[in-house]
Amino acid sequence: MMLSGQTGKSEGTGAILRLNARTAGSGEQAIMFAHGFGCDQNMWRYVSPAFEDRFRTVLFDYVGSGGADIDAYVIEKYATLDGYAQDVVDLARALEIKDGIFVGHSVSAMIGLIAARQAPELFSKLVLVAPSPCYIDEADYVGGFNRAQILELLDFLDSNHMGWSQAMAPMIMANPDRPELGEELAGSFCRSDPEIAKRFARTTFLSDNRGDLGAIEAQVLILQCREDLIAPLAVGDYVHAAIPGSELVVMKATGHCPNLSAPEETIAAITAFV
Amino acid sequence: MPLDYADLFETAPCGYVLTDKEGRITRANATFAKWVGWAPHELQGRRFADLLPIAVRIFYESHVAPMLHVQGSVSEIALDVLHAEGHKLPMLINGAAVRDDHGQVASLRFAVFTATQRRNYEQTLLHSRNEAQASVLSERAESELREQFIAVLGHDLRNPLAAIAGGARMLLKEQLSERGSMILRLIDGSVVRAGGLIDNVLDFARGRLGGGITLTRNDQEPLEPVLRQVIGELRAISPDHWIDAKFAIDALVDCDHVRMGQLLSNLLGNALTHGAKDQSVRVRAETTDGSFIIAVANGGEPIPSAALERLFQPFFRGGSHDRQEGLGLGLHIASEIARAHGGKLTVSSDPVETCFTFTMPMGGLPRNSRGRQHSR
Repeated sequence: MMLSGQTGKSEGTGAILRLNARTAGSGEQAIMFAHGFGCDQNMWRYVSPAFEDRFRTVLFDYVGSGGADIDAYVIEKYATLDGYAQDVVDLARALEIKDGIFVGHSVSAMIGLIAARQAPELFSKLVLVAPSPCYIDEADYVGGFNRAQILELLDFLDSNHMGWSQAMAPMIMANPDRPELGEELAGSFCRSDPEIAKRFARTTFLSDNRGDLGAIEAQVLILQCREDLIAPLAVGDYVHAAIPGSELVVMKATGHCPNLSAPEETIAAITAFV
Repeated sequence: MPLDYADLFETAPCGYVLTDKEGRITRANATFAKWVGWAPHELQGRRFADLLPIAVRIFYESHVAPMLHVQGSVSEIALDVLHAEGHKLPMLINGAAVRDDHGQVASLRFAVFTATQRRNYEQTLLHSRNEAQASVLSERAESELREQFIAVLGHDLRNPLAAIAGGARMLLKEQLSERGSMILRLIDGSVVRAGGLIDNVLDFARGRLGGGITLTRNDQEPLEPVLRQVIGELRAISPDHWIDAKFAIDALVDCDHVRMGQLLSNLLGNALTHGAKDQSVRVRAETTDGSFIIAVANGGEPIPSAALERLFQPFFRGGSHDRQEGLGLGLHIASEIARAHGGKLTVSSDPVETCFTFTMPMGGLPRNSRGRQHSR
């Protein structure tokens, strides 16, 4: 992996640095992997290398996560998913991506949809891994949570501030269990500023982006896990039904992070689609 | 005696939870089962995340599980576990992933510790911190409001003052009695003093509001006439108090002329107010050894050493005098002006004289040499 040495406009290069973007692989077509709430680009470490022989892979961290430029965090900009989608568009343009593939995990699935609507030329294929357009139940819609539970999460992140930052502290030390991860990852994985994590949680879990579903030019693949507490089956079905022509694959993997718990199956499903 | 591992596992003073790679409990020890109010066999087959309140589940799925997969372990995760009866148990959790021969995660192990007291302590700390933050914020907001008020008031006072000054100027053209002329001079002096006070108040409020003292530097014109004018104005206000001024400015001084006038006005006003009336106030302005100096000295009672340290703080008033003290901003603003010029304002005080000395490094170009001048 290396920092891309694109010679774009200064603003473009800015996005590459700001979002700690890393490109690898060889291939005409680009495949961009976007992480969800909680962690960073390392969520894709078991998946992205499998695409390096055919594609130019792009990994990055959202502002406020991983190695992205924390000084670029603007409260208003990142209060909605549009701000994050703007960064995806900026980055894709800086890397001169056209007709690329966007793979978004969790909240990034919706971010990718918004970005693809803003700039349809960037991505011709979208892979939505464990997507949810709205986490809160409303009328007939089943998001999996009620409002009180989501507020409890925000409260938990708040009240757990101290315990949480302490929980993050050991990550700064080298990781004796998996020395191959190296210092860099041991220092940053899943570590984020508690204040920003709270805001990202608020943006993620209080957003209702059902309006961003609907017909879209790009081909769409939905990867749905079984027993996903965060994005249950019903939500995958809803997304599938709301995006005409989309393809839904229900994976054998359980939980919310098949990119970590079932990388092989995830790779196979994405490969079959692209 | 051989170690009874089964007993150590079951009744250890911490909870043990073993799960498959997807987090489904394969075994929990008696200690953990007792804490959470289930029989050990009732826990089997449940997902560990199912024992967590929903909010904590999201945290577990989005943070803890990924860390276990990527890092292989987590430690000191503070979270709540649900008791069988529904209430929350604050706990601390360490976790480790067990990998198979291919490096794949095969199962997970958790050691669980109760953390009720620690959590209470943390909550108390958090609460006090939030309260402290809130009170700091509200105090800051209040003081900002106060300073804005001062700024607006100071600014608004300028208009009526200008009207008074204008009116007095018009009256000068009238035929006045001697008494009328004297009153007019007094009015004029008061206008100058009030103008100086307003300048100080505005500068102070601006400083507090984050604007600081801004400089409009001028290294093209001589500073001396500006200082002479200030001295002239103050002489008019205190005609009975002798002011002895010496100028030896041999170079152009790169400084803000209006500010420098304000600084001298503040120092001189201070000396005229506090100095002994039967001794002259001595003003010295000179360039020497790469520095520009303004010194203002007066005789009379020395300033107590305890007061010397706080002299340049805003709203500091010597205390012994009562009436003529003003707001106590003059010396503060003077020292801020000095600082803005990269210089400093110092004070020395003994029974012979009290002397305020402003010193700033010279950046200006040398000027055609001029003889020392002496005035009055």
